[in-house]
Amino acid sequence: MTYKLLSAIALLAVLTACGGGDESVTEASEQASETPPAQSERPAANPNRNAYFGDLHIHTRNSFDAYIFNVRRTADDAYRFAKGETVRHPSGFDMTISGGPLDFYTVTDHAEYLGILPVMDTPGTALSELPRAKDMFSANPEAITAAFQGVGASVRSGEPLEDIYDPDVMDSAWAENVAAAEAHNEPGVFTTFSAYEYTSVTTNIEDETFGGGNLHRNVFFRGPAPSRIFSTLDSTNPEDLWNWMDEQRADGFEAIAIPHNSNVSDGQMFRLETYNGNPLSPEYADQRMRNEPLVEITQVKGTSETHPDLSPNDEWADFELYDKLLASYDVSKTEGSFVREAYRNGLKLQAEQGFDPFRFGLVAASDSHVVGGSYNENDFWSKVGIVDGNAISRGSVPFLGSPDWDNQPDNQITRNAREWFSRWSASGLTGVWAEENTRDAIFDAFRRKETFATTGPRIRVRFFGGFDYADELTEDADLITKAYAAGVPMGGYLVGTGGAPAFLVWAQRDANGGALQRAQIVKVTATGEQVYDVACHQGVPDPETFRCADNGAAVDMATCTPTGEGAAELKTLWRDPSFDAGERTTYYVRVLENPSCRWSTWDALRAGTQPRPDVPQTLQERAYTSPIWYIPPG
Amino acid sequence: MRALLKEPLLHFILVATILFAAYALVQGQRQAAERTIFVPAAELERLGAIYTAEAGTLPGPEEVRGLLADYVRREALAREARRLGLDEGDLVVDRRLEQKMAFVAADLVQLSEPDDTILRDWYDTNIERFQTPVRVTFDHVYFRDGDNPAIASAATALSAAEVDGWRQIGDPFMLQLQYGDLPIREVRRLFGVDFVNSVLELVPSEAWQGPVRSALGTHFVRLTSRRDIETPAFETVRAQVLSDWQDATRRQLNEDAIAEIISNYDVIIEGIDG
Repeated sequence: MTYKLLSAIALLAVLTACGGGDESVTEASEQASETPPAQSERPAANPNRNAYFGDLHIHTRNSFDAYIFNVRRTADDAYRFAKGETVRHPSGFDMTISGGPLDFYTVTDHAEYLGILPVMDTPGTALSELPRAKDMFSANPEAITAAFQGVGASVRSGEPLEDIYDPDVMDSAWAENVAAAEAHNEPGVFTTFSAYEYTSVTTNIEDETFGGGNLHRNVFFRGPAPSRIFSTLDSTNPEDLWNWMDEQRADGFEAIAIPHNSNVSDGQMFRLETYNGNPLSPEYADQRMRNEPLVEITQVKGTSETHPDLSPNDEWADFELYDKLLASYDVSKTEGSFVREAYRNGLKLQAEQGFDPFRFGLVAASDSHVVGGSYNENDFWSKVGIVDGNAISRGSVPFLGSPDWDNQPDNQITRNAREWFSRWSASGLTGVWAEENTRDAIFDAFRRKETFATTGPRIRVRFFGGFDYADELTEDADLITKAYAAGVPMGGYLVGTGGAPAFLVWAQRDANGGALQRAQIVKVTATGEQVYDVACHQGVPDPETFRCADNGAAVDMATCTPTGEGAAELKTLWRDPSFDAGERTTYYVRVLENPSCRWSTWDALRAGTQPRPDVPQTLQERAYTSPIWYIPPG
Repeated sequence: MRALLKEPLLHFILVATILFAAYALVQGQRQAAERTIFVPAAELERLGAIYTAEAGTLPGPEEVRGLLADYVRREALAREARRLGLDEGDLVVDRRLEQKMAFVAADLVQLSEPDDTILRDWYDTNIERFQTPVRVTFDHVYFRDGDNPAIASAATALSAAEVDGWRQIGDPFMLQLQYGDLPIREVRRLFGVDFVNSVLELVPSEAWQGPVRSALGTHFVRLTSRRDIETPAFETVRAQVLSDWQDATRRQLNEDAIAEIISNYDVIIEGIDG
């Protein structure tokens, strides 16, 4: 065995990801759909809306990269996991969702070569007789690497590999995923969407090779789905995806796309030019907002809110940073890659040219490739199956049983763990405020951007803005009704009246998670940004520094037990101390839990070793709301 | 490092050898080539190397057993499928030869509708599938801070409150003040496990009870009904019992049929005499 094989496999792991498992369960689940609960009664719709939690980004064996890792789990297995059933991880242990079943879940396999690799690996099929198949499933590391890189290069270039590009097979795999989503969708109880991932990635300009900048989007259909989907093999230009989505919408297939991992887009996700380098235009902004009203802000490959270089005055800007381009040790360009900067650039474009292509709301997901998302720091199984399925391979425990971190070998496994896997996050979940748990109600919430994102816990956050909110609103028994009636929720536009708005911020801890430390409002204008603590576990924010006093919460590192108290909920009616009625301003909420152990620390604690020294040992789980956009009068 | 990995790989092959030697002996001495699955040493090494590369650690006995069992299963089903001519078919057959064979194996078994004795047994054995979980209907008021002095007088205030006046008592609650037939699983998601345990100890009545602690604060609860686990009569869920029984039986027969196919093959691991 050589390190080239290790490289090939690790490259596959980082390039994308998928899931797998033991075959008997897979076969059984393909044959028998789940029996619905005996007597499910659909709860009444709540006009004040409930918080529902879900994961919008999950891969299965049908993703081209996953199958290489012997991933065998299907979309059906994925939905069973989300409903609370136990599913086997490729490394052989059982996965059960933390915090109880989710309300909604969506399989998003890569559209490119969807379902092709399983056929290539099935003896007797025509595809399995191809030289590429012989290479890809051979014992020769060079041949495996070359075969797989050929597929990756094709996904990148958009030029189909004629030998394995079989649209009928891909349509068939898509139909299988759609059928699984349909079978598991149960109005009032559990919501699924037909969805897939469009896997565009940047190209190195110098030599036309794999650039590794992530331009991936997940595409979600509100209801019925077309029988054939649009992938990079049709066009690598996301604007062509939007054109296709516009056509689908006209044909009755309403859809949205949600970009992810802008943090490793090499500055391309929110760059201030079109894909082909032309100036942005009002038409571009309209089309982008029509098709991409939301952005995934946090997931296993890190958090895309902001970066210390972009937000030097934000003490919490260094949260779960992941900076390596896909399948690369090279660092992604920071400018153009983060959400908060995009909000600011959007306001700049609005001021200078009259349009804003970056007025998006926020969601989060796991991007798990083992069909089950891993959201709990204390129960993290990482992303790419057996490649990072144990603590040593993901770098949270010293290599080969060494009790400490001195004298670790420098090889491909330890390097990949250092550069990639140890930086991954036990994140995240999407929250939506919707009247009921149905496709229509949740998709409407997507369209309204009445969504929030968490790094894993089920923190609930309300956020409203209005000009006529009474000071006593926070103590009013009917405050949600009144907040909706006299203002706008997260995702809304607050059109100026000349007066100063007030913002209702209300966060509730995860009843099965950690306590809250502070709620913040992040204010963004065309020229700057400011983070305000607006509600504290103890006392009120300092009016000069806009910071809460330290609440003394910490973690006992010997046991990972949180110490000190925290808040069950945080609530305030906040007014911007430097409000300018004439300036467009974007406000969003960030809620922080008390500190807790990071997953890598938990792994080390269980193994009886020292925590990995070059990653944070604790973190503060958090939630982000979609913004409210203030628009001056006139 | 290479030497390090190379040597344990030998150990790995030894483990595999020991495990399967016994298996091979039991399988008898049939030598018909088409009924023999030969596991080349190179294949074994390849499977082990890939596992080691991906997992970062060597496979233990369980993993070795799993790798070999998967290999044998795949080979046996694919050969059986070819023997039946399934590879000369349509695209769907091409895609999933192994899965198709598994499917056919299940279909070979005719599942006639069983008599009700069998279904009633199935219903009894798997009764939790058909039961409705514990559900509670309650109103509650909420005090965020445990030291809120209003908690002491809340019981009095609640009993004196007019029809809807109770809604004004305590702090506003972010979610709902009234829940109807909420499954206990949902109660735990919303309020945490301590609240669930407390509520399950309350006796349903029209009176306010409490204080009850939750992860979110302090509550007074008017638990008006608790529907304990409800078990529908067999007759009312017979259609679902039949459907479940057919699914489960098909899965079991499927596994039995596959095991039967595999048992028709000898397994020879290179370097070991069958």
